[in-house]
Amino acid sequence: MSNQRQASSASQVPHLSPAELSYLYSSLSLPKTPIRPDGRSPTQFRPLTAETNILPGTNGSARIGFADGTQAIVGVKAEVEKTVLANETLARNDGGAGLDRGEQEGSAAVGGHGSWVQMSIEIPGFRDDDALPVFLSEMMRESLVGAVGTREASDMAGGLKERLVINKRWHWRLYIDVLLLSQPLAYPLPLLSLTTHLALLSTKLPKRKSQGEEDPFFDDDWAVAEYLYPRPSLSSGKTNSTGSSFVRPPVTLLVISVGENIIFDPNREEIAVADAVLAISITRDSEAGTLKLLSIRTVDPPSRLTQPGVPNSENVSMLGAVAPTEDVAVLNPATGEEEVPGVWRPRRGGVKRSVIAEMVKTALKKGGVGEEVLEGLEGVEVS
Amino acid sequence: MKSLRRDISSNPQAANVTSKVFVRSTKSGKVQKIVRELYLRQDIPCSSKLCSLCPSIAPADANGNIAPFVLSDRPAGTKAFPRGHYLFPDTNALLNGMDLFEHTGAFYDVVILQTVLEELRNQSLPLYNRLLSLIKTDEKRFYLFFNEFRLETHVRRGPEESINDRNDRAVRTVASWYEEHLRVSAKKSKKEKFVPAMVVITDDKDSIRKAKAENVTALSLADYVAGLEDSEKLLDMISEAREARDTKDSARGELFYPEYYSMSKLMTGLRAGTLHQGVFNVSPYNYLEGSIKVPAFDKPLLILGRDNSNRAISSDVVVIELLPKDQWKSPSAKIVDEEAVTKNDNPDTDESEAVVTDRERKALQEEAKQAHGKNSEGNPQPTAKVVGVIKRNWRQYVGHVDSNSTASHAGRRQQTVFVLPMEKRVPKIRVRTRQASELIGQRIVVTIDSWDRDSRYPTGHYIRSLGELETKGAETEALLLEYDVQYKPFPKSVLDCLPAEGHDWKVPASKEDKGWNGRRDLRDLLICSIDPPGCQDIDDALHARPLPNGNFEVGVHIADVSHFVKPNNAMDLEASVRGTTVYLVDKRIDMLPHLLGTDLCSLKPYVERYAFSVIWEVTPNAEIVSSNFTKSVIRSREAFSYEQAQLRIDDPSQTDELTESMRNLLRFSKILRQKRYDAGALNLASPEVRIEAGDEAGDPLTDVKTKAMLETNSLVEEFMLLANITVATKVYESFSQTALLRRHATPPPQNFEDLTNQLAKKRGMELDVSSSGALANSLDRCVDPENPFFNTLVRILATRCMTSAEYFCAGAHAESEFRHYGLASPIYTHFTSPIRRYADLLVHRQLASAIGYEGEDGHAVIEGVSTRGKLEDICRNINYRHRNAQFAGRASIEYYVGQALKARGEKMAAGGTDTGIDEEGYVMRVFENGVVVFVPRFGIEGVVRLEDFVLPGESGIYSVAERRELAVHRTTDFDSEEYTVRVSEKNHPEKERSVQVELFQRVKVNISSVKEEGRGAGKRRVRVLITG
Repeated sequence: MSNQRQASSASQVPHLSPAELSYLYSSLSLPKTPIRPDGRSPTQFRPLTAETNILPGTNGSARIGFADGTQAIVGVKAEVEKTVLANETLARNDGGAGLDRGEQEGSAAVGGHGSWVQMSIEIPGFRDDDALPVFLSEMMRESLVGAVGTREASDMAGGLKERLVINKRWHWRLYIDVLLLSQPLAYPLPLLSLTTHLALLSTKLPKRKSQGEEDPFFDDDWAVAEYLYPRPSLSSGKTNSTGSSFVRPPVTLLVISVGENIIFDPNREEIAVADAVLAISITRDSEAGTLKLLSIRTVDPPSRLTQPGVPNSENVSMLGAVAPTEDVAVLNPATGEEEVPGVWRPRRGGVKRSVIAEMVKTALKKGGVGEEVLEGLEGVEVS
Repeated sequence: MKSLRRDISSNPQAANVTSKVFVRSTKSGKVQKIVRELYLRQDIPCSSKLCSLCPSIAPADANGNIAPFVLSDRPAGTKAFPRGHYLFPDTNALLNGMDLFEHTGAFYDVVILQTVLEELRNQSLPLYNRLLSLIKTDEKRFYLFFNEFRLETHVRRGPEESINDRNDRAVRTVASWYEEHLRVSAKKSKKEKFVPAMVVITDDKDSIRKAKAENVTALSLADYVAGLEDSEKLLDMISEAREARDTKDSARGELFYPEYYSMSKLMTGLRAGTLHQGVFNVSPYNYLEGSIKVPAFDKPLLILGRDNSNRAISSDVVVIELLPKDQWKSPSAKIVDEEAVTKNDNPDTDESEAVVTDRERKALQEEAKQAHGKNSEGNPQPTAKVVGVIKRNWRQYVGHVDSNSTASHAGRRQQTVFVLPMEKRVPKIRVRTRQASELIGQRIVVTIDSWDRDSRYPTGHYIRSLGELETKGAETEALLLEYDVQYKPFPKSVLDCLPAEGHDWKVPASKEDKGWNGRRDLRDLLICSIDPPGCQDIDDALHARPLPNGNFEVGVHIADVSHFVKPNNAMDLEASVRGTTVYLVDKRIDMLPHLLGTDLCSLKPYVERYAFSVIWEVTPNAEIVSSNFTKSVIRSREAFSYEQAQLRIDDPSQTDELTESMRNLLRFSKILRQKRYDAGALNLASPEVRIEAGDEAGDPLTDVKTKAMLETNSLVEEFMLLANITVATKVYESFSQTALLRRHATPPPQNFEDLTNQLAKKRGMELDVSSSGALANSLDRCVDPENPFFNTLVRILATRCMTSAEYFCAGAHAESEFRHYGLASPIYTHFTSPIRRYADLLVHRQLASAIGYEGEDGHAVIEGVSTRGKLEDICRNINYRHRNAQFAGRASIEYYVGQALKARGEKMAAGGTDTGIDEEGYVMRVFENGVVVFVPRFGIEGVVRLEDFVLPGESGIYSVAERRELAVHRTTDFDSEEYTVRVSEKNHPEKERSVQVELFQRVKVNISSVKEEGRGAGKRRVRVLITG
């Protein structure tokens, strides 16, 4: 049990021997051509199946299943709520949690409030106040409410927060319920984030009939409900198939570095040997049509908690059995630490600046991983 | 990356399951997406007698019977459809032509789709209810087809398809399914020749076009009706609303009225308290003045003028906005009749007319002047304007065609006429008709369809004719319709609930019989009943006998109606809808079928009857020692009329036990009465006369009698009150939430303000309204030795200041609010007249349950007495019916008096001239241009207009027309402080040639019945002339 609690920083650490860890590490850290246990390329995602609107009672929902059997369901519910009058000042104070853009927007005439988006994550085997679900939900919520469009995209100028404003006295409150259906085999963040993204894409809000500052009053026809994230209109959507000029919910990608290599969508074993684990939130920049970075969070690499291997030179039982030359420590180019090849040493978590820069670049660049993921998700028929 | 979405078609079960998704906004402001799953089936029958397939698949009930099929196998045909046809109306066809569908001459074999019914419910609840009752009747052969649940006819809404289009498609789909289905089944049974045509009735041009493409026969309502016999009359019955809209769109006329606020704006305003909601009420004296009582203000808010009332019609639920303070005014002191002001309006043209015509503006301005002038009584009252309508309470109105508005020789051409409703508070209605010349002089029923911004008057359509004006049948029916009294004979389903033995029903002889379960045998008690002469429905009987301990046993025995009327059967439902028996002068509209009311339940003398008894033990001083309730069997010894009972009591030679017991009852009743007055009960007066229909030959006016009060009247009354109070206490003990009680709210003191001022000013009398006791005492002091009727007059006026008593359900109010103000009782209910009031019947059931009476079959009958929601609905209905029954009764008397006067007038005219009758009258209200006079002899109130004052030096009486001429030459000097009005001729201001009238004054009046033109036509206005 204590093991599981500890695993809150990342997923459970697989029970691998130091030798296995070391083998895994060395295959993954092969310069330029890492060999992943499942044979994927470094930027390749695991195949997944996705569908939307699986829960008819919700405003929007999605299910994503990875081929390894992990599955998540996300349901989004919206509720009309009265805005407490003092919200503008509150929004400014609260926005200080590192959301500079948000704060600037908050000082505008109509301010949304980050707390209008509520996210709860349920993971089997965890209580809802355990560190992992709380941490994960906060991480995803923050990029969600922090994502801000540009002024031109009038509807979503202030991002999701502004979209939730109905008028000065009323707003929508969004409940995002994330449910992981399987045991978390890998760190569940990418799965949950992708599912949430998809669910939000399919989310609709009832069409408003009232105007201005009137009490909200809605059309009872669900067919005319409007998307939370507006779609490109049919005509323009044909010509501009990427739909890049529209604000999209952010996705959070999990990236690890092993040696000099950068690996996307790591599985559990890969995370176990990672030098650094990063959660990168990206979204489309509706102005430039490119991707932009919303946040980077480092996640405690679980490799820190593994048992170290013992070099033969220090192993009493092996004393004199091998030639001392085999055990010469070399400098690991990625971490700058001295290591004996083939002998596992727990990672300390340090990572070079250049590696991080490379990670961000790979994620954001045109035709890069980020674009591939977003396009893939947009390809899921949302109906 | 690969994405996968499961396809519905891959699921074999999916075809049977579908869902319905919509958004629901709750009262608390929540907005929810609602998903309902629909399971489609294939065993919903087509219900055509022609079909050979459906009888085998239709679902059967527990006894293995299937519902009888509705649609005829030989439906009626028309020229276009010689083989007969089934009709499939869409929602709009029903909205526009419900009166047609109810017509008995056509429209048989109609299939109503569930989709259409639901849509209709959303659009108009009254029409929905009418359609439901159509479906229920057998003779019209309307079949409700649950198309949404049948696999073949369920229509999935396509992408980008509007709801209307989808519903129209549903109608066409059903029609084509019927066609196919019946064709197949007819082929099997070799009856192909009889398959009728399926005709979709829709007014949607697009739908007709699509129907053509889909090979479905579709016709517009007008086109279909045009192919029927008697089409002219039928075409008149199509609602004008749509047609009017079509024509107006092309030539958008001038907009007379401001637009209503949007629904959301109204809701915002109501929640924020800037707008108010209430029921729009029009003053009976001034059609331009309305008032609305809203909780936020003590006094009702005034709505002055047409533009402020903005198309609201009396009894609509409207939303109003307060006007700025500088536009506040005093209520009008003028009598304004619509027909006098707008007499010359032309129904066809609206152009060149403003909403507020100059004439109307003048009528209003004079008021304003009056309000600002002097230091008029009271401050200006807040005024408001209507900004939205929550609910139209339009109903069918009885009226007649204004003959001035018809073209003299229009022939059969369609023309627009004005219909003047009998109800003065409803504006005239513009009706298009092809039969104008036939309708003149008829009592007709019309309905309002719409009131658009560009029309000065509401638009409606003709429904049916009741007969000629002033004929007894037409006028009685008109009266019943106006007061929404259900006067149709009881349907068979109700009569089926009566005991099979009919008049031969008897209390079972053997006490072993289940009818005796839980009943006490009170047959040996000396019970008698005292009622008005000729009473057939005897609700109550009494007895009193000395007990060995010196006390007395007093019993009130009430007809045990709940024994015969079981909860929730057809008879019970009918009774709960009727609510009360309505008494007209020459007619009684029963709540329960004749057999029960006048025989089986009626506590007739000399026969055994079931009763529900309340029995007290009282001391010789009428202190109640104990009370007891029981179901019983009694045998009344005698049925007295009040007079007979009085004579027998007063006759000292009668010393038998029965008379003694009546004397005891009388003695107790006097003590009880005194106690009640000591507690502060009010002795109120209402201007009631009763009419004893005498022989035809005599002077009908002699039948009009003011009600005489005998001691025996109050004997019965006292014990009924006592029984009601005792029962109320018991029922409330057992059902703290659902007891059906009756309360009379304490009127707010400001209601009495006017009357208090008037009394203080004119007579120097004071009215203490702090409590009912104080009021009773001060009313007793309002005596004018010169004028014996004055006290009664004040009581009548005081009664009008009060709120009316109402039934309610105990949970709806706090216990302190249960008080009955007039009776000064902390709790009250109605228990003693179950034959004629539904409330009493319910209370009987509650009491039976409270005392643990288990009914004849052993299980308690508490159904229908335990759910509060249902009870509140019933209370609302019976309060409404009760009020209407009173109004109808009064109107009936008024009509009778008018007719009696007319008959007399005609008789007089035969021998000379009609000089009317000279009577005494009392001034009740003073207006700037007239007064209201009350004539106690006939219990009528008459408005006396300027021309009806007979000035000194004026000779004799003129005809109506001649008198009307006088009005323009007259002028008044109105003093709102002193409540006086002086009428004089314009050029002769001398005192000698004028008449001054003041409030409460006794005046000599001359009463005659005159044929009135305009609004009151046919009603025969009773003309009151003040002669001095």
